[in-house]
Amino acid sequence: MKEVLVIGSGISGLACAVRCAGLGVRVLLVSPFPSERSQSVMAAGGINAVTDEHEEGDSVDCHIEDTLKGGAWLGGRNAVTGLCSHAGEIIRYLEGIGTVFSVDEKGRPLTRAFGGQSHKRTHYCGSATGKQIVSAFVMEARRYEAAGMITRLLHTSFHSALIRDGVCYGALLFDDRKRVLEPVFAEAVVMATGGQNTLYGKTTGSNQCDGYAAGKLFMQGALLKNLEFIQFHPTTLETAQKRMLISEAVRGEGGRLFTVENGKRGYFMEDKYGPNGNLMTRDVVSREIYAAKSQVYLDISFLDKSLIEKRLPEVSDLCRKYRNIDISKEPIPVAPSVHFFMGGLAVHLNHETSIRNLYAVGECASMYHGANRLGGNSLLAAVYSGFTAADDISGRAKSGISPDFSRTIENENEALARMFRSKSSFPGIYIRDMLAETMHKYLGIVRNEDDLKKGIGEIDYYLSVAEKIRYDSSVSAYANYSLKAILTLARAAITCAEARKESRGAHYRSDYPQCLDAFSGSTLISFDSGSYHVWQDREKSYEN
Amino acid sequence: MKIKILRQMSPHSEPYWESFDYDGLDDISVAGMLDHLNYNDDIINDAGEKTTRIGWECSCLQGMCGGCAMVINEMPALACETFLSNLKGDTIILRPLRKFPVIHDLIVDRSSIHENLKQENVFIGEYQPVGSEDHQHQYDAAKCLKCGLCLEVCPNYTNGKTFYGAVFANDCYLVSARNRERAKDILKVYGEHFGSGCSKSLSCMDVCPMKIPTLASMAKLNRK
Ligand SMILES: Cc1cc2nc3c(=O)[nH]c(=O)nc-3n(C[C@H](O)[C@H](O)[C@H](O)COP(=O)(O)OP(=O)(O)OC[C@H]3O[C@@H](n4cnc5c(N)ncnc54)[C@H](O)[C@@H]3O)c2cc1C
Repeated sequence: MKEVLVIGSGISGLACAVRCAGLGVRVLLVSPFPSERSQSVMAAGGINAVTDEHEEGDSVDCHIEDTLKGGAWLGGRNAVTGLCSHAGEIIRYLEGIGTVFSVDEKGRPLTRAFGGQSHKRTHYCGSATGKQIVSAFVMEARRYEAAGMITRLLHTSFHSALIRDGVCYGALLFDDRKRVLEPVFAEAVVMATGGQNTLYGKTTGSNQCDGYAAGKLFMQGALLKNLEFIQFHPTTLETAQKRMLISEAVRGEGGRLFTVENGKRGYFMEDKYGPNGNLMTRDVVSREIYAAKSQVYLDISFLDKSLIEKRLPEVSDLCRKYRNIDISKEPIPVAPSVHFFMGGLAVHLNHETSIRNLYAVGECASMYHGANRLGGNSLLAAVYSGFTAADDISGRAKSGISPDFSRTIENENEALARMFRSKSSFPGIYIRDMLAETMHKYLGIVRNEDDLKKGIGEIDYYLSVAEKIRYDSSVSAYANYSLKAILTLARAAITCAEARKESRGAHYRSDYPQCLDAFSGSTLISFDSGSYHVWQDREKSYEN
Repeated sequence: MKIKILRQMSPHSEPYWESFDYDGLDDISVAGMLDHLNYNDDIINDAGEKTTRIGWECSCLQGMCGGCAMVINEMPALACETFLSNLKGDTIILRPLRKFPVIHDLIVDRSSIHENLKQENVFIGEYQPVGSEDHQHQYDAAKCLKCGLCLEVCPNYTNGKTFYGAVFANDCYLVSARNRERAKDILKVYGEHFGSGCSKSLSCMDVCPMKIPTLASMAKLNRK
């Protein structure tokens, strides 16, 4: 029987594992924490699909066009067509495994519209869509766990892939309790490790999404794609512990953005873009908020209190709990924050990376969203990509025998042991904080050549220091060994942004404000012994 | 403000108390305060001695993942949702959940929750809903974080060998509501590992961060 290693147990990892198991492929599902702690549980707003009960005038074609347009025409038409045409089936599947979608009195699914959508097609589960989907998948995975088709490995993190001549044969995993690296050989390795939040410190998402796996695989030869496209969510609330997302659902329910000047409210989005201005895509709204001269507020207080409690309970709770704001009476002070990464591991339509037998799914893969993701499309992509990779893996002939990796394994274990033996009084985690500062400063909502160059200089400096940093026993071993790859990923992202001398989707350059045909291809980047090579995928060899 | 923490370096080492002085904001959660204590070149305890960073676990920092469940002033709660300003006295006492083996400081191994559910085959299988009247209840039950707070406070749950607690009961309810074919089997394991051992103190409902109506789950299962 084929065996697959799935790394990461959020929605994309779960979808891939469950589908593999259903197709008779045995799965080892690895993550440091259980699925209930993955970022997927935080997705609140919903999942997009045109189903049989779609809104009048909507169609799969409309979903495809909205997605391509929202992504500033960088996404591949074939890829997006696959995604959108399977969406209805995915909703039915999720319902079938027990996801509790919100329905009206007649049992028909409720939908809402996120920014950039021509129709209401975002299906949701109260205020906890991601959580409800995770709960359903966890149960389904349990069924296969009981049957011996899925084995979960917790307290374990990815260290590196076992790659020889462009083919992946397995991975080295770090067991946090035994504190050693252990090899796992598999027919295929599927990365489902989520986004790259910690490049920016505290964001709207989970601190488990640190981009390490993408950075490490990049250093091992995998290509990365579109790293410069980083989505800032326009409406987040500052709290003492993190930036908290104020769901787009607030604007979907009619919420209005405004600033106050001379004691008067100015509804700047409506003034500039018309009555639907508040629901422009996230990149546009974020830039407008960034450009505003004073504090921006989001107002929903005109909606009936009972409707607010019914439709936006999580927003109401969150504002009350963390900032003592009653949204039925007062507006919410908002600012943009890093939220989603359109870039990641470059994958083909079957979700295989540039390394054979190494797949990437969910947010760690770059696919479908082009230069800017539409709200509700990433949960859909997480499920669809997991299924797509599983189908491809199960349909493949068994691969050959793995070459001997015993030397590599020994060397890596020795390097780790050496790291444990060294001692540092300078905590490496500070470098992560410094990196976050650099990224905010130079790879924020608005970029320019000078800043990007400064950013590259700073990260190169951190990289040179990281070489010399010794082991900091007061944080986890993983936090120590992951530093260099995280810095390398950040350096790659800034390098991609520097190379794209135009503005498109979430990538806005004040020195090149136009969208140019010359940059209509995806950005690819490779790494070779410390040097970074960037080019455009004009032939659409990855996403087409 | 004093922060007193029950620490333990590794699963097999001895636990010990260590105290810290905290002089930051009080308009902050326990999670934010732990971050604050850890964010220093040197971590110094209240006796002025250098010590190690405090181990604790979190993912979302906003009450959605259950990672930071711990005992705060003898009350089981999520650290990210408990604000210093709402705690009485000028000492805050933190300890790891007592019903699970400690991994490091405030981090515990909660895998028994999943193991028990897996062992008893608590899964839906083929979807055959009993009816739609349970929609809200199913939604509420599926919000379970598997954080373990309900087990911490439960007088009947000791080591999870036979009585599996509210977290088990709610998943049993979900299965019985979504697959009438499996309802009978599930009722049996529910009886064995929950129904027969629950003394109905219902303290589990008080501490549940998701406010899951466990009593309603029990009522529906008992009615079957
Ligand atoms: C606040 C918020 C709200 C959102 N709302 C929506 C929404 O309404 N609709 C929508 O479509 N999208 C939404 N998103 C985006 C969406 O949640 C994510 O894109 C999606 O959940 C990603 O799923 P995933 O499976 O790729 O990754 P994740 O759910 O992030 O899971 C990653 C997994 O990888 C593991 N992992 C990470 N690093 C390692 C490592 N080194 N070794 C081993 N394992 C590792 C983690 O532990 C975890 O199990 C939202 C995001 C946020 C932050």
